[in-house]
Formats: sequence, C-alpha cells, structure tokens
Amino acid sequence: MSSNANVSLYLDPQIRDWVLFPITLVMILVGILRHYVIVLLQSQPKQLPRAAIREQRALARSQILRATAAKSPIPPSHYTSISQQLSDAFAKGTYLKDGPPKGDSPAAAPNPITDPAAMDGMMAGMKTQMVMMVPQMIIMGWINFFFQGFVLIKLPFPLTLGFKSMLQRGIETPDMDVRWVSSLSWYFLNFFGLNGLYRLILGDGNSADSSRDMTASPFAGGAAVASPVQDYNKLFKAERDNLEFSEGLHNWVGNDVENRVLRKYGKLAPAY
Amino acid sequence: MSLQSSLEKLATFRKNNTRNSQETFEHGLNILKSGASLKLGDESWAFLEQLALAAIDVNRLDIADQCLKQLGDKFPGSPRVDVLTGIRMEATEPPSTVLSYYDELLQANSANAAVWKRRISVLRRLGKVDKAVEELNEYLDTFYTDVEGWLELADMYSACNQYTSALQALSHALLLTPQNPFTFLQFAETAYTAGDIPLALKMFLVVIDMNETEDEDAIPLGISVRAWWGTKLCSRALVASNSTHVSPSNTSIPKNINLIDELATERVLTAYSGEQGIQARSLVSNWMSGR
Repeated sequence: MSSNANVSLYLDPQIRDWVLFPITLVMILVGILRHYVIVLLQSQPKQLPRAAIREQRALARSQILRATAAKSPIPPSHYTSISQQLSDAFAKGTYLKDGPPKGDSPAAAPNPITDPAAMDGMMAGMKTQMVMMVPQMIIMGWINFFFQGFVLIKLPFPLTLGFKSMLQRGIETPDMDVRWVSSLSWYFLNFFGLNGLYRLILGDGNSADSSRDMTASPFAGGAAVASPVQDYNKLFKAERDNLEFSEGLHNWVGNDVENRVLRKYGKLAPAY
Repeated sequence: MSLQSSLEKLATFRKNNTRNSQETFEHGLNILKSGASLKLGDESWAFLEQLALAAIDVNRLDIADQCLKQLGDKFPGSPRVDVLTGIRMEATEPPSTVLSYYDELLQANSANAAVWKRRISVLRRLGKVDKAVEELNEYLDTFYTDVEGWLELADMYSACNQYTSALQALSHALLLTPQNPFTFLQFAETAYTAGDIPLALKMFLVVIDMNETEDEDAIPLGISVRAWWGTKLCSRALVASNSTHVSPSNTSIPKNINLIDELATERVLTAYSGEQGIQARSLVSNWMSGR
C-alpha cells in the first residue's frame, strides 16, 4: 500500500472541464427544474366541506378538554356537563360527516382506492415521484454510458479503506487510493449532498432535493393523505373511554385557591 | 417620516396585530404615494391589505378602493380579497346586500371561516341577535378553537341577560386559554352577576393567585385591584348572608370566609394607599365599615 500511495495519477484537465463540471452543473440545473415542475404540478389543496372539517376537529375538541383535566380552569359542574355532552355526541355520532350511522349494519372500512378524495392524494404523490425518478434515471444512464470508469477528482484528505465502495463505484481496482472518486460515485455524492445548495438558491421548503423522496414510497405519501378517510365512528367510540377516564382525574384549580391565597399573604400557617 | 421607518412600523403593526388605524393609514398613504410599495415584492400585498382595512376604518374609501383594486387584480378569486371586499361593502352598502354577498361566498365554500364570522358580526349589528347566536354556535361547533368566537358568544349572551349560557361559553374560552387571567376575571364577574357568589369568589381568588409576581407589601395594580374588589364584594355578601347562598354550580363556601374578608378589605385599602388613591381612600373605608 505504501508504495501505491506514492504513485500519483495524473488527471487530464479536460476531464475536469468536460466531465466533472458538466455532471455537477446538470445535477444542479435538474434539481432547480424539478422544483419548478413540482410547483406547477401541485394541485390546489382540496377544500373540505364544513361537515368534514367539523368531523376532523371534533377529536381535537375532546383532547383539549382532557389535556386540562388535571388542573382544570373550570369548576366540576361545568366540566362534567361539557364532558357528558361530548360523550353523548360521540355515542350518537352527531359529529360524523354523513350524520349518525343508520341501523346496525357495520359500515365497511372505507377503501382508499374507491374514494376519489384519497385517490387524488395518492396521484399527487405519484406525480412527484415520477418527476424525481425520470430525470435521475436519465442522468445515471448518461453517466454510465459516457463516463463509465472515469476517475474525476482527488479528495484533499486521506480516508480509510471503508470508503472505497462509496467513492469508487464503477471501478474495480483493489489497490487504488481511496481518495480518488469515480464518476458514478461523484453522481451519488451530488445526489445526496446538493440539498444545502438548493436551499441557498431556492430558499427553504424547496422541492428540488430528490434524495429526500427516496425514503418515501409513493404509497406512504398516499397513506398520509388517506388518513382522513379513517373510520371516525370508531375513533369517537374510543374517545369516549378517554373522556370518562379524564373525568375521574378532574381537579379544579379553584378547589384550594382560598388557602393558597391566604398563605401567600401570611394569613394562614404554611401547609407543611 | 422616512419611508424606512414607516415600513418598519407597519411591519410591527402587522406582526402584533395592532389595529391603530389612524397611524397605519398615515404611514401607509405615505408609502403608497411614494410608490415604494412596488419595491416591496411579496410583502406589498400584506401591506395593501393592511392599508385597505385602515383606510376603511378612517373612512377614506377612495384609498381603500385603490388598494382593493390592486389586490383584486393580483389575486382574482382569493377568499382573503373577497372578505376585504365584503368589509368595504359593509362601509357603504345596505346590510341586506352585504349579507347576500356573504351568503354567496359561503355557498361557494361553506368552510370559509372568515366570511362566516363577518356574516355573524353583520347579523349582530343588525340586531338579529337570536340569528347571530345561532350561527355563532354552529360556527364554534365546527371551529372549536376560536377563542375570540367564544368570548363574542359570551358577550352576546351577557347582553341578553343569559348569564348561565354566558358562563358556559366562557368556560370553553377558559379551556382554550387557561393561562389568561382576564378570561378568568370575566368568568368571575359573569358568575357574580349571575348570582353564583361562591363560584365568583373562587374565580376572583384564582385571578389573584395567577398574578404571582405580587408580593405581600406591594400595592395591587391593574387587574389585581379589580379582582380584590370582586373578592371583597363576594366575601362581604357571603359573610352577611351567613352561608344561605345557594350556588347553582354546587361550589362550596370556603370555611375561612372571614379571613378572606379581612384580607380582601386590607388589600383593597392598600390599593388606595398611593399618592393618587389617597383622596378616594376615605370613601372606600367608609364603605368598608358601613356594612
């Protein structure tokens, strides 16, 4: 190895001008293009009708109530009345978008494929996926076809052997110094590392970085959008138990307030 | 008045949600005339909206129309501009026209909260309180987290002497902002007016308890003075009536009510011990002794 380290490769400056810079430039430009294409493709956020919003927010309502139960700002009588009212409404299904369920036929779990609203969400996910996949595949093919096995750049710092598979993909040389980077590896470094640059150019929240989407499958995106299709009736029924539980926890801040105030002004001996 | 300082001032107003219409209008007109709003980029739209509202407030409808036109050209069909147009209509058009305009908007998008709220406010101004209360209830059933809405509902109920309902609305507001002593104070005062003296006493004490910074010797200020007065009124009534008070909310009367009464007397008198309060002090102490 030590003798190998002394042997230096000499890279043609034309490789730098005609391979290294073009790959980097193309990747940056494709990222920017991708950002604008996605902005164009983005469908308007769907407006929910009033009843759907009401259904969605009913749970938050009882969560707010439960969150305050341990140090509740409102006296027990008011708390119980609100809690009971919510519980009854959940039991009857007042908050359900389509009104209380009819009869005892259990509603089939809604299928996201048949629901057009959920389908839209899934399609949007697929569209962004396509915009990401196609150009990246083309760039990778381009690099593989024209620059296969090129050594593009030498890193200015030494690295351990473990980085060999990361930096020298596409060149099968067991003895070459790890500091040399192959064309395919340069592509991957750009692929994962350009996000910071995009953020400088396009600002935060841009959609140019494609490596982020790699982690999310199109169906995962669809599932997140499809979550409003949950069976609210079941959720409400479960929430009723939580409400009942919190009712037992209820403790009004006013319960002992007179003693606290009296102690604060020294009219009553401290409790401990 | 330099442009830079005007712009900064307006940005602060926007951030803090300050209405201050006269000042906003003067600064805004200055900027609009100099044409600097065009250089603001995306911020200029927020500025135009702010100026339009302020201009309507100070009855310079010509300026408001100018802003609205620019906004409407840039964002056709935007719900925000629609609401602004509605507010502009409220300034001159008869209420029935405005109401039908809002109805139209709501039909297009039934979940437009801003339009819904405007509609309710117009209804209330028209004196159709029953309709307004009904709509506001429906609105709050959908958009539960709107604290302002709950406070407005409580205000409407109080205006109709429906104190029990007002208390219910206020208890929702309390659930949403349990950190705000002013809501507690309003709850306490409403409970007092409703005749639920023990509940009011507790709530006044909670307000006092919330103002932690006050130490024993400090002179009560601001909200504390009001809360101590409330405590005094409640404890005085409770001591005098010898626990015959029935509380609709089943709140028990504190055991050491006499101690509280003493403390409240002391604190209220302390509030009038400063240089400014000294003239009123004799009046207050007369009232205290003459039960």
